[in-house]
Amino acid sequence: MSLPWRNKDRGVKKKMKENNSVFKRITSSREASMVIVLLVLCIIVTILSPSFLTVKSIMDMLKNNAVTMIMALGMLCVLLIGGIDISVGSTLAFSGMAIGMLAKRGIINSTPLLILIAVIVGTICGLLVGLVIAYGKVPPIIATLGFMYIYRAMAYLISNSEWASADALGDFKNFALNKILGINNVIWVMIICYVIFFIVMKWTKTGRKIYAVGSNREAAAISGINTERVELFVYTIMGLLAGLGGALAVSIYASAQPNMFDGEEMDVIASCVLGGVSMSGGRGSVTGVLIGSFLLAVIAKALPLVGISSIAQNTVQGVIILIVIVLNVVTQRMMDRNNLKGREM
Amino acid sequence: MKKKMLSVLLCSVMAASLLAGCGSSSSSEDSTSDGSSSSSSDTYTMAFVSKSAGNPYNEKEAEGFQEIVEAEGYECIIQHPEEATAEAQITVINSLISQGVDSITVAANDENALQSVLEEAMAAGIQVSCMDSKTNADSRAVFVNQAGITEIGQTLMDAVYDITGGSGQFAILSATSQATNQNAWIEAMQEVMDSDSKYADLELVEIAYGDDESQKSTDQTQALLSKYPDLKLICAPTTVGINAAAKVLQDEGSSVKLTGLGLPSEMAEYIGDDDEHSCPYMFLWNPEELGELAAYTAIALVNGDITGAEGETFTAGDTEYTITDAGDGGTEIILGPPFEFNEDNIDEWKDVY
Amino acid sequence: MAGKSGRTISNVPEKSWRKTLLSWEGILVIVFIAVCIFCMTISPYFTVANVFREMPKYLTEIFLMLPMAYILILGEIDISVGSTVCLAATMACMASNAQTPFVVTIIVSLLVGTLCGLVNGLILTNFTELPPMIVTLSTQIIYRGIAEIALGSGGSVVLSDTAGFKAIGQKLGIIPYIFFLVVILAVIFTVILAKTTFGRSVYAIGSNRLAAYYAGIPVQKYRLIIYTITGLMAGLAGLFMVSVTYGANTTTGDGFEMDAIAMAVFGGISSTGGKGSLIGGIISGFVIIFLRIGLGQINMNSQLILLIIGVLLILAVMLPNIMSRIQAKRKTASVK
Repeated sequence: MSLPWRNKDRGVKKKMKENNSVFKRITSSREASMVIVLLVLCIIVTILSPSFLTVKSIMDMLKNNAVTMIMALGMLCVLLIGGIDISVGSTLAFSGMAIGMLAKRGIINSTPLLILIAVIVGTICGLLVGLVIAYGKVPPIIATLGFMYIYRAMAYLISNSEWASADALGDFKNFALNKILGINNVIWVMIICYVIFFIVMKWTKTGRKIYAVGSNREAAAISGINTERVELFVYTIMGLLAGLGGALAVSIYASAQPNMFDGEEMDVIASCVLGGVSMSGGRGSVTGVLIGSFLLAVIAKALPLVGISSIAQNTVQGVIILIVIVLNVVTQRMMDRNNLKGREM
Repeated sequence: MKKKMLSVLLCSVMAASLLAGCGSSSSSEDSTSDGSSSSSSDTYTMAFVSKSAGNPYNEKEAEGFQEIVEAEGYECIIQHPEEATAEAQITVINSLISQGVDSITVAANDENALQSVLEEAMAAGIQVSCMDSKTNADSRAVFVNQAGITEIGQTLMDAVYDITGGSGQFAILSATSQATNQNAWIEAMQEVMDSDSKYADLELVEIAYGDDESQKSTDQTQALLSKYPDLKLICAPTTVGINAAAKVLQDEGSSVKLTGLGLPSEMAEYIGDDDEHSCPYMFLWNPEELGELAAYTAIALVNGDITGAEGETFTAGDTEYTITDAGDGGTEIILGPPFEFNEDNIDEWKDVY
Repeated sequence: MAGKSGRTISNVPEKSWRKTLLSWEGILVIVFIAVCIFCMTISPYFTVANVFREMPKYLTEIFLMLPMAYILILGEIDISVGSTVCLAATMACMASNAQTPFVVTIIVSLLVGTLCGLVNGLILTNFTELPPMIVTLSTQIIYRGIAEIALGSGGSVVLSDTAGFKAIGQKLGIIPYIFFLVVILAVIFTVILAKTTFGRSVYAIGSNRLAAYYAGIPVQKYRLIIYTITGLMAGLAGLFMVSVTYGANTTTGDGFEMDAIAMAVFGGISSTGGKGSLIGGIISGFVIIFLRIGLGQINMNSQLILLIIGVLLILAVMLPNIMSRIQAKRKTASVK
């Protein structure tokens, strides 16, 4: 499908450069507007419920959403190259269940080893997804839909209808309890992930390759980037992060259940999109994802606090997401009418 | 075009080998499908449809059920639907009707949604009974109840009264908003509260729904804690919810206490009557015994020993049970009062179920 | 592959019977027959009567697959249909319980569905920058959320009068009414897609939206129509779900969107747009239904059935791709 054609590479490169500067402007302003939305939301919630803006409450929120926030980084890369991965919830459950059962059967008890195993299981899952997408040429939504069923089923099969509960997990659950410098381990892991991704996406060749493939695959191929390898890499990283998420989730909730994080992939995608990541590829940043997932976390945390009855919470959350993405489009249109004309409908 | 042909060949070969592999691995489950077609021979086939796969509580019920059915010399089919929804159960029950089983015992995910399919089953001569979570009176012969609803409501309210010291705020953390059992128990708790003035100082501040997901239950518990600083107790009549709440309370060293219904094996870590532990005591029945009683009931129904009418009696193991009025137009058999787990007995029970 | 995008309009009717047999649809027919034989050998209960009896619940998913095929051919996706089914079913039950005549109940269900689809369509056509996936994701949450609010704390609603719904759940001999309706709708949807200008425009939009726009096709109007019809079909599916469950609850229709997409894709409809035919989708829908019924009858672990469907789905799309790559490599090698 991606056969190179000859005569255009100069023009394409030039266009890329232009795109790049325009794109930077948009993302920066987008992020600014998202920060404003976030701040307004926080202020409203704090007025309605003063207990929201306490250190403990914020730390709780970060800890509970760390898994989603970490996976959002992987999803950022996937969306950047124009793909999608709806199998991450299942990968998480599979890797989490795997270490849960290992700990329960008493085979492995060391915390670092368990985390490592979960990460490896997740990486292999992601690698398979990547192979099918990059070399099998299966559209990402279909491939990951298939793997969503497969990995979830595998989580059920290895669980043997058991849970690994607090009692069986031994020391492992303490990982999510211990703090370093007053900040929970889980939050540290998240911070480290964000720092690494921020650096990689902004200043390394790998990061630029991902952006290049996403903004114009053909051009990237011509300029010597092995697009298939980038694709494989991105899905593998997604799997790795989902595996890490699995380990963290098991530790945070001190319980491994085969149905955990069912449907969570949608939250992960939503936090990326809220953070201004384009689903058609090429646009989005680590900062944006941070803000987006923060926004989603605040919404989820705030709704029960401000006294919206639990029955209405889903609706309100959906409406807020819809309003935010529509607002995003409207402000962008106002800011950049000219840019819009050149684009596809 | 050749390539497509080839690919489809490959595809079907792989699929076939996959199916063959799976078929052999699940031999224990499909042992019923070959050989004795139930109705023609004298061995009956008893089927149990649980609420969902991957939940140890359901698994224990199924184990108890299977043990008795096989010990009595009948065929047993255990089916866990793919999701905890009524629709997934309808699919499974439809399939069981096709197989011409002799009895279906179901732990219903929705009280009314199974009516049409179960009526069809009864029309096909299948004995239908429920356990754990009932269907409506029209679509069952009898309901094998783990404990009377008012009894559970009373027990939980007494626990709330005892732990809080008789006054203060408490909250309920339930499963999904449409969970039949939980709703009935909560309603019973509220009735108990209204019926006696000794509960007048207790205030039920909120019923939160954790949807039987760890993450949501955790979020809801934390929200309860920050919303109600004076909260004294959380009552979680669901195994997932109580687990998540226990974890939150114990990790935070919160003074809020917890009680409810939980599996001892999952809750062992959190039970104890001191500040270190979040849950002084909780309740449950033995799901394995419930499964066993359901199996005896199904056998009695198939053999024609009982019809499910009020007042009939039958023996299950060594105990005699009487069918009573369930208060919803149908009948039920009650296993017994809920069992209390506390720090004295948790260690011996945590390995049992 | 000829064009830059590699997408071709492949709905041109095939002439010779050999070509017909060797097309993806032809292969699917063979697979369909193979699945039938396979199911009959593994399960003694796989009889015509039993299959028709177990079918109605699955057939509601075919209702969703038909318009979903159009959306996929557009190169888009709608993951809100499951929630629309839930909302339509809820409202139908409430209308029925308000003692309205059954016709009104039907209209309410269809109207609610259509309205949901219309909202999706209006958002997507007015804010064309928004990807369908994220818009329908948020409406997915919202529609089910509205149903949750309407259902209240019980989370479910029961029909007080089941007569009307019992009637539409009836059978003619051993064949349920819904089967005839599915056949009629399948024919209509297939003919429109394959034989009319509208259908061809859908392919054109999916292959190259900009080109379609410049060729004078009212792209946004057609998108709006398709999303609205998707909602209408979801309303219909909701109606028939009620005839199976005599009520509705918050999990009604959960996961239907993914099943519908899987059926369409297994039938050779490309999710990147512009490719596929509904005949393939319909056959593959029945392949999946029969497989589920057959494997269910030997009491296979329900999770294993899902795993098998997942594997088949990936293989069905991947193997032809790999084959064509190998062939292309061979060709270039021989040219050299």
